[in-house]
Formats: sequence, structure tokens, C-alpha cells
Amino acid sequence: MMEKILRFSVLVLVPFSLYLAFFYAPVEKTMGIVQKIFYFHVPGAWVASLAFLIVFIASILFLKTTDFKYDIIARASAEIGVVFCTLTLLTGPIWGKFAWGAWWDWGEPKLVTFLVLWLMYLGYLLLHRSVQEDLRRAKYAAVYGIAAFLDVPIVFLSVLWYRTVHPPLVIVERGGLDAKMKVAFFVSLFTFTLLYFIFFQQVRSTIELRERIKEIKSKLEG
Amino acid sequence: MSQILAILWKDIRAELRTKDIFISMFVFILLTLITFNFAFSGEKLQYEVVAGAMWVSYLFAAVLGLSRSLVHEKDKGCLEGLLLCPMERSVIYFGKALGNFLFLLIVQVLSLPFFSVFFTQAELLKRPLYLFISFILGSAGISAVGTLFSAITVNTKARELLLPVLLFPILLPVLIGAVKLTLFVLDPQPIYEPLKWMQLLLIYDIIFVLFSNLTFHYVVEE
Repeated sequence: MMEKILRFSVLVLVPFSLYLAFFYAPVEKTMGIVQKIFYFHVPGAWVASLAFLIVFIASILFLKTTDFKYDIIARASAEIGVVFCTLTLLTGPIWGKFAWGAWWDWGEPKLVTFLVLWLMYLGYLLLHRSVQEDLRRAKYAAVYGIAAFLDVPIVFLSVLWYRTVHPPLVIVERGGLDAKMKVAFFVSLFTFTLLYFIFFQQVRSTIELRERIKEIKSKLEG
Repeated sequence: MSQILAILWKDIRAELRTKDIFISMFVFILLTLITFNFAFSGEKLQYEVVAGAMWVSYLFAAVLGLSRSLVHEKDKGCLEGLLLCPMERSVIYFGKALGNFLFLLIVQVLSLPFFSVFFTQAELLKRPLYLFISFILGSAGISAVGTLFSAITVNTKARELLLPVLLFPILLPVLIGAVKLTLFVLDPQPIYEPLKWMQLLLIYDIIFVLFSNLTFHYVVEE
């Protein structure tokens, strides 16, 4: 029941938030149409962060309980996190090209941290694939999942300090958002979050099915 | 403590007999150095490039040494022997990590004359204290995380292939911090604040020594 409600609301909310982002919210004066990326880039980054946070928590719980439920949660969340992280990394440079005149800026800590996050969790998924035995695989992945998350603030800090010679970047004030823009943004944020949960359910049940098939196969082979 | 030293002593003795980790790390560093020189052919290399070349070669050499140090244990069944010994798992961790740290440090110090001969404009020994601090803090971070991760990858299908994939993103703050500290040594008019980077490296080292120590037993136990 819960899942049906979730599915239905996403079905309605996705076109609705697209409408809000493209038609309801006014076109920004200086950035023009490119500013529309904002409604997808930021929610994408938020979902990726949420997904990785869940990997972290589930990994700790797995090491504490050795309950494979948490391993599946962590794995499903990491997969979705990587997808949304990719979205963020693809939209970020397009924004950057118009805002700073360059596709990439190695001194921008958020940008670089997301690239490192992406690499870490790709490594996490690779690790999952390259160990045969279940308990080992889950333990290794959990240890790596915790290490990766612990590392994020240090990565952010080191990239932030990386350009000591340059004057600090002037951060664009976000407070000046138009009220309509705000509405479009928060609806989009909400939709993305719901999308995460839908994907999460889907991926989780896929993994569970895969595990069952593996179980049955090993039983058949005796 | 004496148990940690016993494991360390075992590694040192094994290494003194075969010398294979040591020689391959050292030759690898020399090769990287020469490759860098030709890759930036004929250019008078900037300080930034020299510092970068040093740490890139150290990082890759460390990966060689790290994966070897556990492959030996695994393939000859020594790890089981170590696990059967009546001692804490963290003793094994610290023993192995200390060995990796020491090997890396020795190779770094021995490679210094070559760096100063080949990169003639770099005066490496102008601030020897800072250079040595960068070696100690950098290598501590590399071997703290590296020992844990090589204990993970030794049981995977890809082994040596997977180790750098998992390790490098996590080690990014160490790389940035160590390079910045080394730049402070090389640059005649340093503008970098060495204290800040030392703090960053120190924080990283403390966090990951504690974390690896806490999680090592999940990784090695069956």
C-alpha cells in the first residue's frame, strides 16, 4: 500500500516539478535559462549525500549485527547514490561554464569532493563485485563504506585549503531567490527525495531476488 | 608492545633475506623519476612538478609494498598462523602497519639524493626538518589506511588491481597535504603555511589509525 502511494505521488510530482521548474519559476536575469539546472543539480547532490549517509549508517549497523538486511540496504543505497552523483557531476560543469566561464575548477571544494565521492563509491561497488564469499564481501564493503564517509570532511577541508594563495571565492548569495523559484526548488527537492525512496525499494528488492536465486542455485547444486 | 615489535622484526628479517619489496619499491621510484623528467621533456621543472613527482612516485611505490606485504602472509598461510597467536588483532595491525611505514620511510629517504641530483634546481635539504615531517606524516597516513585496505584486497579476485582503486580516493587529503608541505621545503619564497597542512595530516593520521585499528579484526577474521 505504502509503495503504491509512493509510486503514484512520484508519477504526479515529476511532471509537476518539471512544470514548476521550467514554466512557473521565472527565467533568471543574469544566468538566463542555464539557471534551470539549479532545480536538478542541487536536489541531485542532496540525494547523493543522503544515499551515502545511509550507506554509512547501514555499514555500521552491519558490522554491529552481521544482519545481511543492512548489507543490502547499504549496497542499494550506494548504487543509487552513484547514479545521482553522476547527475550532479554532469550538471555541475554546465553551470560552471556559465557562472565562472570554465567547465571545471579544481579549487571548488564542493565540486572536487563530489568527484572524489563518485570515485569512492564506484570503488565500493567494485569491491562488492570482486569478493565471492558473502560474509567477507559484506564485511569488507562495510569497512570501506565507513572509511569513505569518514574521509569526506577531510577531503572537503583539504580542497578548501588547497588554494591558499588565492583570495577566497566570492560566494553567490542564494538569499536573493525569487519566491517562485523557491517553490520550484523545494518541490523539486521533495520529488528527488521521493524518487530516491522509490529507486531504493526497487534496487533493494532486485538485490534480494538475486540473493534468493543464488541461494536456490547453491541448494540445487547441493 | 613487545608483540608489535616481534611482528615488525619478523617483517624486517623476512625483507632483509629476500629484499624484494625494498628493491622493487626503490627501482619503481627511480623509474617514475626518470619518466617524469622525459615526460616533461627538456623543460626546467617547476617546484610544483618536482613535489608532485615525488609524492606520485611514493604513493605508487607504497601500493607495491603494501600489496606485497600481505600477499606474502596470505599465500604462505602465515596470516592464519598470526591469527592463531594468542594476541589482540590490533597487535597484528600495528605490527604490519609499522613495517609498511618503516619501509616506505626508508625508501623515501634513500631516494632523496636521486631527486636532488636529477631535479637540479630543487634544493631538497634547505628545510630538512619540514621535509622529514612531511615524510613521516604522509607515510603514516598511507600505511595506516593501506594496511587495512591491503588486508581487504588480498582476498579479492583482482587483488593488486583493486588496491589503488580503493586507496587513492581515500588518500587524497594525504597527497594534498604532503605535497603542500614538500612545496614549502622546495620553494625559495614559500607562501604556504606549513602548520596548517601538518595539522591536516595529523588529524587524518589519527582518525584513520584509530579507525583501521578498530575495524581490522572484521577484515582478517573468517
